[in-house]
Amino acid sequence: MATATGGHRKGPRTGSGARRVRRNMTSYVMLLPFLTLFAGFLIWPLLNSLYLSLTKFNGVRPPEFVGLANFERLLQDERFMHALSNTLVYVLAAVVLTSGFALVLALAFRGQGWGDRLMRTIFFLPSVTSTIALFLMWRWIFAAEDYGLANTLAGWFGVDPVAWLATPGLTIPIMVLMATWSGMGYAMVIFVAGVNTIPEEYYEAARIDGATTWQQFKSITLPLLRPVTTYVVVTTMIAAFQVFEAVYIVFRQVSSVGGVLDSGLMIVPYLYDMGFTKFQLGYASAIAWALFLIIFVISMVQLRVGRATREL
Amino acid sequence: MAVETRPVPPTATPARRSGIPGRPHRPTSWVGWAKAPLYLLAITMIVPFYWMVITAFKPVSEITRNPPSFVPESPTTVGYRDPAWRPDADTPGHVAGLFQRFTEVDLGFWRFAINSVVIAAAVTVLALLAASLASYVITKHDVKGRKVIFLMILGSMMIPWQTTLIPNYLVVRNLGWIDSYLGYIVPAIPKAFVVFFLVQYLQSIPNDLIEAARIDGAGEWRIWWQVVMPLLRPALAAMSIFVMLNEWNNFLWPLIIVESDQMANLPVALARLNSAFTGAQHMGVIMAASLLASLPTVVFFLLFQKHFTRGIAMSGLKG
Repeated sequence: MATATGGHRKGPRTGSGARRVRRNMTSYVMLLPFLTLFAGFLIWPLLNSLYLSLTKFNGVRPPEFVGLANFERLLQDERFMHALSNTLVYVLAAVVLTSGFALVLALAFRGQGWGDRLMRTIFFLPSVTSTIALFLMWRWIFAAEDYGLANTLAGWFGVDPVAWLATPGLTIPIMVLMATWSGMGYAMVIFVAGVNTIPEEYYEAARIDGATTWQQFKSITLPLLRPVTTYVVVTTMIAAFQVFEAVYIVFRQVSSVGGVLDSGLMIVPYLYDMGFTKFQLGYASAIAWALFLIIFVISMVQLRVGRATREL
Repeated sequence: MAVETRPVPPTATPARRSGIPGRPHRPTSWVGWAKAPLYLLAITMIVPFYWMVITAFKPVSEITRNPPSFVPESPTTVGYRDPAWRPDADTPGHVAGLFQRFTEVDLGFWRFAINSVVIAAAVTVLALLAASLASYVITKHDVKGRKVIFLMILGSMMIPWQTTLIPNYLVVRNLGWIDSYLGYIVPAIPKAFVVFFLVQYLQSIPNDLIEAARIDGAGEWRIWWQVVMPLLRPALAAMSIFVMLNEWNNFLWPLIIVESDQMANLPVALARLNSAFTGAQHMGVIMAASLLASLPTVVFFLLFQKHFTRGIAMSGLKG
């Protein structure tokens, strides 16, 4: 299967044909550990999940083929539509705020002095803190009791204690707050790296031409930062669509995974609810594929694939 | 807009201080004022952490008191172990400390920390080994199908891992890996992103060293271990941080495959602690546990800060 044929660019040209065959065997053996697990735990499950989405399956009895019934149900499922619209609102707000704050922070604290480094460390801290610990912390901050931190601060302004986590209208704002608070430091670090690749001469030239700070930002920083901005927005967006822990830890009620009146129901918590508390694995697989399609479309925006393969 | 903060490169500082002749330097004092809200924002970053830390060191009576104290009046470690608490008697104002809970689990709370460390270490090592082998073959070997393989790996980066959650759960269940280290570790080894990253890195490395080793008669395995791995070191360092942090925070997958307390990792243990004990009197213990679960990664970050930020910058800019 592996005789030396033409068309190689990087291939080694030393050795005889027999040696090349042996090397090719070694190559496949070297690929084997990754490829086996890759096929077994990524590719096959993806296809299997597509198959399961066409079945009725409770995890015990064999799956029963039902065609597109799960997807039809998905479109009429008010709870799914609710989860979808919640997720869209949350993603939009979280992505705009996280990227916006991150850019401002990156421009403000991009230097190498100790002050800027300290600020970057502070903003980055949530990225290296245990996620669940952070959400438990927020749950405690937004405690309904009058001695909770949020209620104490509100009390200073004469506001009566609020049941923050049990007020449906506050669920998504609190989730956006938590996402922005913990995500902007990470995005900031990416922006700092991007901003610092812009040559200082551009700004000097602009200043000599009398450009204001705002004009410099608009005509130099923003355009040159566009690839980095795209990357930050896309990755933040993909991560936001997959939100689960915030809902599960902070808002979950005994009766429902999505918080009071499902006000915090999002796609992945709904997938978890259908799959692993109601054991409707076929229907949950349809939800999983809906999520896949959304993320696939977003990823296509980035065209990372095209660029990377051209280099190969 | 705090835009006018071009960094002063270290070497340029003396020149600035002595003043650049010719053009007067524009006063930048307003920039400091423009930054003021951002310093306020930094305070809002600190306050939640501060609240978590002080709660972990307050006695129950001080936690459930209005108005709350912002400096612990009687700092204590009862959140970890409360000598006044009795399992068999009613002790108002005292709850079981963190290390007095999970008594049915060997080593109590430490067991979860050990689970987390073992899993994170195993996944990181195995994922990087497998990915480095694959990326070496993809970039430096001339095998049929490598382009197709790489395309598939790239394409798979668009799959949200939750899509494979249910089939993977079924696979792990059929293999009898529920509630085991294998169930945690094996499905986590293939990381498409790591291969993608290493391939990009290797493409920028010339083939000379590898060719030279081949001419010297080194086998492919030896070249991989003794030539390629050292060349990859910066990329591996960056990726190991990513993989490790990811595993440390892994929650949804263990939530599904872990049944016993014995096999919980820290995130699952924290969540169980939270759902088993509701009520503010337990918040001291929960914050104490949260603090313990966060400390390793935070300390690790403070020690290797440069690697963290460089790794993120590398992946962000190259991607």
